Amino acid sequence: MIAEDNVLLREGIARLLTESGWDVVARCETADELLVRVAAAAPDVVIVDIRMPPTYTDEGMRAALSLRETRPELGVLVLSQYVEVPLAMRLLEDSPDGVGYLLKDRVSNVADFLDSVDRVATGGSAIDPQIVTALINKRRDDNPVSRLTPREREVLALMAEGRSNQGIADEIHVTLRAVEKYVSSIFTKLDMPTAPTESKRVLAVLLYLRG
Amino acid sequence: MGVTRSGPDVARSAGPSRRAQEAVVLGGVVAGAGLTGLAFTAPGLEQPGYQAALACWVTLTYVLAGLVAWRRRPESRLGVLMITAGFGSCINFLVWSPTDVLFTIGLLGQFLPPVLFLHVFLAFPDGRLRYRIDRTVVAAAYAAAALSLPQLLVGFEGDRNVLAITTEPIVAERLQQLQLAALGLLLMVGVVLLVHHRRGSRLRPAVGLLMDAFLLALLMTSVLMLAGLFGWTIAQPVRVATFLALGLAPIVFLAGLLQAQLDRASVADVLLHLGAGPTPTELEHAVRRALYDPSAALVFWLPEFECYGDAAGRQVDVAELSERASSAIVRDGRDVAVLLHDPGVDRDLLRSVVAAAGVMIENAQLQVELRARLEELRGSRARIIEAEQRARMDLERDLHDGAQQRLVALSLELATLDRDLSRYPDLRDRLAPAKAEVSASLAELRDVAHGIFPAAVRDHGLSVAVESLATRAAVPVRVVATTGGRLPERVELTAFYLVSESLANIGKHACASHALVEISRLQETLVVEVTDDGVGGAATEKGTGLRGLADRVEALGGRLRVWSPHGGGTRVRAEIPCAP
Repeated sequence: MIAEDNVLLREGIARLLTESGWDVVARCETADELLVRVAAAAPDVVIVDIRMPPTYTDEGMRAALSLRETRPELGVLVLSQYVEVPLAMRLLEDSPDGVGYLLKDRVSNVADFLDSVDRVATGGSAIDPQIVTALINKRRDDNPVSRLTPREREVLALMAEGRSNQGIADEIHVTLRAVEKYVSSIFTKLDMPTAPTESKRVLAVLLYLRG
Repeated sequence: MGVTRSGPDVARSAGPSRRAQEAVVLGGVVAGAGLTGLAFTAPGLEQPGYQAALACWVTLTYVLAGLVAWRRRPESRLGVLMITAGFGSCINFLVWSPTDVLFTIGLLGQFLPPVLFLHVFLAFPDGRLRYRIDRTVVAAAYAAAALSLPQLLVGFEGDRNVLAITTEPIVAERLQQLQLAALGLLLMVGVVLLVHHRRGSRLRPAVGLLMDAFLLALLMTSVLMLAGLFGWTIAQPVRVATFLALGLAPIVFLAGLLQAQLDRASVADVLLHLGAGPTPTELEHAVRRALYDPSAALVFWLPEFECYGDAAGRQVDVAELSERASSAIVRDGRDVAVLLHDPGVDRDLLRSVVAAAGVMIENAQLQVELRARLEELRGSRARIIEAEQRARMDLERDLHDGAQQRLVALSLELATLDRDLSRYPDLRDRLAPAKAEVSASLAELRDVAHGIFPAAVRDHGLSVAVESLATRAAVPVRVVATTGGRLPERVELTAFYLVSESLANIGKHACASHALVEISRLQETLVVEVTDDGVGGAATEKGTGLRGLADRVEALGGRLRVWSPHGGGTRVRAEIPCAP
C-alpha cells in the first residue's frame, strides 16, 4: 500500500513494486485515506510520504507512528525529502521491528530500495545511510568508533541501516562467517551487549551511536 | 475625532457685573436689616436679638459665600444658587411679621430653606445636579415644600391665614404630617446620595471635609423634620446646633474655595519642579499630583501619524478618549494633547493645570512622537522579517513540491529504464552518468532548500529540528529542550536560527570541546541559551550573524544577550515572548 500525494512518484513506485512481484493493494493521496484503507486491506507493508495534504508538514509521520502503535505487525516505510535523526529514533523507539525511514532519492537505487521494502515487510528495518553517517560522524569525546578498523566501521554502518548479516556479506562481498566475526569484534570494541536478534541490534547500535 | 470639549476650554463665563454685585450686597443688607426688624417687632418672640442673629447666620452666610463664589468661580452656578438659597431662606422668617399677608407668605415658604440647602449641597461643586437621581430627589423635595399651599388653603394656622378658603383642621394636619415625613425622608436620601457621590469621586481631603460638614447639617435637619412629625422633644441646643451647622456649610465651602486657589498656586510649583523639558511620563505624573487625580492621563496628538499616542508612544483608540472627561491642551493655537481626568476635578484647578501643561508640553510631545516612530519601526522590522520568512517558506515549498518531486520521479524513471535495459549494457553505461547527475542534483537541491528554509522546524517542531542540528554540529552538543508543545512559528524559527547560528559560530571560532543548548519555557517567554567552553571574545557587533539574530529577537519583542569574556567561553541567551 502506498500513500504519496505526488502522482508521478506514486505510480512510479507502484510500477516498480508490481514488476518486482508485489501486489499494490491501494494507492492513497492522504494520510487519512491510508489509515482508512489499511484497516480494510490489511497489507504487509505501507510506504508513506512524510509530507502530505492537507498541511504538508508531518501527516505521514503521525500516520506512521499511529500505525506502529495499532498494528505492530505491519511494516511501515516512511519516505521524506530530508531525514532527521530525532525522527528516526522516534520511529524506532517503541519497537525496531518492521520500520523504515529513507530519503525519497533512494527509490532510484532499485535493488537497494526493493531490499529495504522486503526487510521492512518481514519485520526488519531500513534506516537511511544519511542518518547512520550523521550518527557515526557525530563528534564526541573519546569516540570509541575511532577504535574500529575502516572495515568494521563499514559493517557497523550497514548494521545500523538494518541490514542482516547475509545482506552485509552480499554488500561487501565477504562470507557470512567473516561478517559474524566483524560483528562480534565491533560489539567487543564498543563494549556493547550483544543484541538477541538482527532487528533488535539496529536500535541498539543507533542508540549507542546517538550517545 | 471624538474628544468632547468641556470645562476649561469653553469660553470663560463672565463674572457678576459690578451692578449685580452691588445689588446682592444691597439685598443682603436689606435682608439683614429686615430680619432684625421683624424679630424685634414680632409679637411674642422671645430673645429677639438672639433670634435675629440666628436668622442672619443661616441666610446671609449663603448670600455672602455665594457672592464670593460667583466672583471667583463664575462658570460655576453654585454661587448664584447659594445667593438664591440665602434670600429664599429669608422668606420663612416673615412668620414673625405682624402683618397677616406677610405672615401667610412666611408660612408658605416655611420648608423652603431645608430644600434649598439640599439643592446646594447636592449641586456642589459646579452648581449642577449631575445625576438624574439627584435631580429627582431635589424636585421631589420642592414638591414636598409646596405642600404648604394646600395646607393653607384648608385653613392651617387659623385666622391669620389669608389663603384659607375652608377650615379642615384634620386634613391640614394630615397634610403637614405627610410633608414632614416626605421632607425628612428626602433629606435622608440626600445624605445617602452625598455619601455615595463622595465614595465614587477621587477628590482631595479638603473637599472631603467640606462634604462632612454638609452631611452633618443635612442629617440634623432631617432629624428635626422627623421630630416634628412624631412629636419628639428636641432640646433647644440641638436646634441651635443645627442652625449653626447649616450656617457653617457655606463657610466651609468658602474654605474649600480658598484651598482650590492654593491648589492652583501649587500647580505652578509642581510643574515648575519638572525643569525645562519634562519627559511625557514626568509630565503625566506631575499633572496627576496637581489634580489630585491618579487616573489622569495625557494623550499626545502626533501630527505625523494623525493619531493620538500615550506617553509610551503607543497609539490610543479614539473611542477610549470619548468615553472619559477630557480637556484639550492647546499650544500656539493648536491642540497638542488631551488631558483625560476624573469628571469631578475642580474646574479652576483643571484650567490651571491645562495652561501650565500647555507651556511644558512641547518636549514631551516630541518625545512621544519619537517613541511612536520607534514603535512603528519595530513593527515594520517585524513585518519585514515575517515577510522574508514567508517568502523563504514559499520558495522551499515550491522546491519541495516542484523540482525536488520531479527530480525524484525522474530518477525513478531512469532507474526503471536502467533495469529494462539490462540486455543492452552499452546503453546502461550511457545512462549511468545521467543517473548520477540526477542524484547529485537532488542532494544539492536538498541543501539549497534547507538553506532557504529549515522545513523541519515547521514540519516537526523546534525540539526535533534543534536535536537534528546538534547531531550535525562540529562539537559534541547536549540538548535540553522542554518547550511544552509547539510554539508560534516565528518564535520557533527565531529560536532555531539562534541555535543554528550559535552552533555554527562555535564550530568556526570558539575552539570549544563542548556545547550545551538549553531551551525552556518560563510562562509566556521562551528562553534559549547556547553555551560553549571555548575561547570567548565573541561580540554582536563583529559577526553580522549575531547582530542579525539580535534584530530577529528584538523584532519579536525579546532580547538577546551575549557573554563572551576572553578565555571564558561564550554564552548566548535569548528571551523571546511566545504568547500565541
